[in-house]
Amino acid sequence: MGITARLRHTAFAAAVLALAACGDKPAEEEDSTQFAPIDNTQEVLDYYAAHPDFFRFKTPADVPADMDWQDGSQLSEIGSPEAKKGGTWTERLQDFPRTLRLVGPDSNGSFRPFILDYVRPNFANYHPNEFELYPGIADRWAVDKENKRVYLHIDEAARWSDGEPITADDVVFSFFFFQSTYIVQPWYNDFYSNQLTGVTKFDDHTLAFDMPAAKPDMAHNALTWSPVPEHFFKELGPDYPDRYQWRFVPSPGPYILDDDGLQKGRSVTLKRIDNWWLKDRKFYKYRFNFDKLRFVVIRDTPKAFESFKRGELDRFNLNTPEYWYEKLPDSDADVQDGYIHKVRFYNEIPRPSWGLWINRAQPHLDNRDVRVGINYAANWDLVIEKYFRGDYVRMRTTADGYGPFTHPTLTARPYDIDKAMEAFAKAGFVDRGPDGILMNDKGDRLSFTLTTGYERFKDILPILKEEAAKAGLDLRLEVLDATASWKKTQEKKHDLQMVAFASQLEMYPRYWETYHSSNAYDVPFLEDGSVNPNRKLKTQTNNLQSIALPELDVLIDQYRFNDDAEDMKRLAHQMEEILYEDASFVPGWVQPYYRVGHWRWMQFPEGFTTKHSRWEYQHFVAWIDEDIKRETKEARKKGESFGPAILTFDQYKSTVE
Amino acid sequence: MAISFFKMNPLTVKKLRRFRQIKRGYYSFLLIIAFLVISAAAPLLVGNRALFVKYDGELFTPVFTAFHPGTDFGFDYSYEVNYRDLADRCAAEPELNCSVIMPLVPYSPYEMSAYEGVFKPEPPNTAQKHYLGTDTTGRDILARLFYGTRIAFVFAIAFMLAVYAIGVAIGCMMGYFGGLFDLILQRLIEIWSNIPFLYMVIIVFSVIPSTFSIPTRIAILLLVLVLFSWTSMTYYMRTATYKEKERDYTAAARILGASTSRIIFRHILPNTISTLVTFAPFTIVSAITSITALDFLGYGLPVPTPSLGELLKQGTATLRTAPWIVASAFGTLVVILTLVTFVGEAVRESFDPKKFTIYQ
Repeated sequence: MGITARLRHTAFAAAVLALAACGDKPAEEEDSTQFAPIDNTQEVLDYYAAHPDFFRFKTPADVPADMDWQDGSQLSEIGSPEAKKGGTWTERLQDFPRTLRLVGPDSNGSFRPFILDYVRPNFANYHPNEFELYPGIADRWAVDKENKRVYLHIDEAARWSDGEPITADDVVFSFFFFQSTYIVQPWYNDFYSNQLTGVTKFDDHTLAFDMPAAKPDMAHNALTWSPVPEHFFKELGPDYPDRYQWRFVPSPGPYILDDDGLQKGRSVTLKRIDNWWLKDRKFYKYRFNFDKLRFVVIRDTPKAFESFKRGELDRFNLNTPEYWYEKLPDSDADVQDGYIHKVRFYNEIPRPSWGLWINRAQPHLDNRDVRVGINYAANWDLVIEKYFRGDYVRMRTTADGYGPFTHPTLTARPYDIDKAMEAFAKAGFVDRGPDGILMNDKGDRLSFTLTTGYERFKDILPILKEEAAKAGLDLRLEVLDATASWKKTQEKKHDLQMVAFASQLEMYPRYWETYHSSNAYDVPFLEDGSVNPNRKLKTQTNNLQSIALPELDVLIDQYRFNDDAEDMKRLAHQMEEILYEDASFVPGWVQPYYRVGHWRWMQFPEGFTTKHSRWEYQHFVAWIDEDIKRETKEARKKGESFGPAILTFDQYKSTVE
Repeated sequence: MAISFFKMNPLTVKKLRRFRQIKRGYYSFLLIIAFLVISAAAPLLVGNRALFVKYDGELFTPVFTAFHPGTDFGFDYSYEVNYRDLADRCAAEPELNCSVIMPLVPYSPYEMSAYEGVFKPEPPNTAQKHYLGTDTTGRDILARLFYGTRIAFVFAIAFMLAVYAIGVAIGCMMGYFGGLFDLILQRLIEIWSNIPFLYMVIIVFSVIPSTFSIPTRIAILLLVLVLFSWTSMTYYMRTATYKEKERDYTAAARILGASTSRIIFRHILPNTISTLVTFAPFTIVSAITSITALDFLGYGLPVPTPSLGELLKQGTATLRTAPWIVASAFGTLVVILTLVTFVGEAVRESFDPKKFTIYQ
C-alpha cells in the first residue's frame, strides 16, 4: 500500500498541476487560415431587412430641428495638466486572460476592464467627478423624452485603432452583433433587444436609439456602451468563440495589443498608439499617460506582494486589514523611507450589498419574528470592529451609496441578544436546549445553514456563528466554491447566504430584479390577490429572499416606469422602509474607501484620483515620472530617506456612512 | 491479528520481541498510543468548560454536564457562561466563596479571542495560556492542533479498518476462488481505480448537503476516500492468498472438511498477517496526508472543524507576519508522520520473512 499510496499522491499532485496548467495555457496560437472564410455582408443586410421595426434608415431631414443637444462642455477636465506621458505601468493578473474577445464565453474576466471597460470610450461616459455625461465617440446627443428616444452624433474624427473611421454603420452593425446568437451571451441579446428597442440611422454620423421607458437617466442608459467595428467582424459566424478567441478587437481607445504583446500564460503588454484621435481633447488629454500597460500573471497573492516590494509592480491593493496593517505596516522600512506610499481614498460608488440574504421560502424563515431575531443576532458590529479593525462601516439599507436615492436615516438593526431572544420567543422558540440553542415546543432547533462562496471572507462566518449562539441561534456554516455557492442561491436552496451584488456606477438602485414577486414565484398570487397556495419558486433570478409582497410590487412598478427623479427617490425610500420591516436582509458592511500602496514614482493629480472610481487606476489619471523613479531607486540603494507618505484623501467621504 | 495475539505462537512472540528491540519504532508506538489514550479525554485537557466549579456551596462539573447559562453563576446573560471570566471573578472577589478549575488549555478550538482589540494572530503567550499563539481569527492554535490531530487519527484509523475490511475480504476471495471470479473482479478493480480520485472527492464534497451534521459529513468524506482506496489492498491479499492456498496445510484443512470461510479466516489469513501488519502504519500515513492535503485545498473536513491542513493553509499565507502558525502545524505534521513511519519501519523489519521464515 505504501508504494501505491505514494504513487497516488504523485498522480494527485500531477492532476493539480495539470489543472493549473490548463488555466495557464490558452489554446495554441490560432491560425486564422484554419477557419473557412466567411463574409456576412449579405446576412447582415438580410437581418436588417427582416427587422424593419428595429433597424430604420432615414434621412438627415428626419432629425427634429428643435432638439436640445448636449456636449458636456460645461464639465471640467479630468486629470492633471502636470501629467507626463511615458513609462510602463506594471500590474498583476491572478489568471492569464482566457480570451481577447470582449463578449462571449469566458470574456467577463478580471482582465476585461483593461481591454474594454476602463480604456474604450463609450458614446458618452459619466464624468468621474461630476456624474454628468461627457463626450466620447459621440460629440453631442439629445434626449427626446416624449418619444423615448436618444439622438446622437458621432465625432467625425473618430477612428478605430486600425485607422478605419467609426461610422453610423458600425453602430447599426453593433446591434446585429449583440443580438446575434453567435456571440453566445444571452445577456447582450436581451439588453440590445429589450433595453434598447430600436436604432435609426440618419446619415453617416447621426443616429437615434429607442428606449422602453423615459427614465431620468435615459441618456446614460442609451450612450454608455461602445460599438464594435463592422469591418473586423465580417467573419462573424457560428464559430465566433473560436475564430475570435485571440484576436484583439480594434479599439476607439488609446491602447492596442500587437502580436508580440501576448506572452501566453505569462504576461500581456498593451501599447499606446501615437496618434490617438482623442489625445488632445478636453476630457482625455491628461489621461492614459502610460506608454505601456504590462500585466504579469502572478497566481498567489503573497507572492505578488513580494514582487511589489521588489519594485516589479508599481502598485498593490491593500484593501484587506491583513495587508494594510500586518504585511505592509506603517513601520515598514520602505514606507518609513517614503519609497512606497500608502493611500486611503474615500470614493463614492454604489456599495456592494454585503450581508445575509435570508430565504423566506425555507421553513421557519417565513416567520417574520425569526427573521427579526436573526437580524438582532447577527453581530456585524463585532465583525467590523474586531475582524475589519473598525475600518469598514455597517451597511444601512439594501442600497447604500446612491446619493439621495439611498434612504437618508434608516439604519440596520444592532446586535442585541435580548431583542433577538424576544423575537425568537414570539416565534415560539423559548427554551434553550442542552447545547444552549433555542427550541420550540415541537422540538425543532433554531438552526439554519449559512452559506458563502467567498473563500476570502470565510473567517467572518465562525464569528457570526459564535455570537449568534449566544442568542440561542445555531448557524451551520458552509463554505463552497464560488460557482457551487452561486448555483445554490440561484436554485433558491439556501437558508442564509452571505453574498453581495455589485452594481455599475448608476444613478439609482434597481428593485425589480431583487424584490419583485414575479422574480420569486411562477404565479405568486391568484387573481383575487390572495397568495397562490401552489406557487413554485422561480429559479435563476436575483430575488434571493423569495420576497413577494403585493404592496412592494405596486411601488416597484411605479418606480420602474417613472421619469421623475424626485418621485423615484420617494418611492425608493418607501421601499427601503418596507424591506426593513420585512427583515429578510441583514445589512453587512460597507467599505467606504479603497486602500492602495504605490511606489513613489507613481504620480497622481491633486486630491489623488476621481470621486466615482472603484480603483485609483480606473480612469487612468496617474503617470510615471522616470526621473523620480531613477532617484528613488538610487536613494533606496544608498539608504536615503524621503520621509514617510501615508495619506488619507477624505474629500469625498460621505457624512451618512 | 487477534488470533495470533491470543494464541501467541512462538513465531509471533519472536516478532513482537524483535519489534520491542527496535527502540525507535517501539517508543514511537508508545508515544502514539499515549496520545490516543490522552486524547480520548480531550475536554479534560483542552476546552473552555471548567472541570469543577464551586459556587454558592454547590459543586458543578460543567465539562461533563450540559450548558449553564450565565445567570446560573451570577452573570446577567442567558448564554453559556464564560468560565475563564468566572475564574477571574472568583479570584478577584474572595467574598463570593467560589472556585473554578479550568483545563490546562482553557480554550475551545472554536472560540475566538481578540488580540490588541482585533481578531488577528497572537504570538505564543503563556500568560494568556495561548501556548502556541492564535490563528488568523484569534482561535487557540494548541486547542485546534490537539483536536485536529485527534480527528485526523480517528479518521485514519477508521480509514484503515474500513480499507482492510473491504480489501482483505475481496482480495482473499479473489486469491482463494481464482479463475473467472478473479479475472472479472480484477478487471472491475482496474476500471474502478482509474476513476480520478481528486475529481470525485471534489464533486461529492460539493453535493453533501450542509443540513447534515458535521460528523455525518466527515463520515461521508471517509466513505468516499475508502471507496477509492480499498483496491490496492486487494492486490497484496490476492497474491498472498494464492501462495498460501497451494500449501499443504490448506489442503489438509480442506480434506478435513473445513468450510471456505474457516479456511480463509482461520488458516490463510493468520499466515498472511505480516503483509497486513506491515502495511498498516503506511495506510495511516497516507490517510493523514490525504485528509491534510484535501483540507489544504479546501475540500476536506467541513468548516469550522479544526484540522492540520486548514492551519497549514493559513500558515503559508502568513509566513512573514505569523510564522508560529505554520511552525506549529508543520511541526505537528512532521512529528506525527515521522512517528508513524518509525513504527512502520520497525514493524516491517520485525516481520521480515528473511529473518523469520516459516519454511526451511
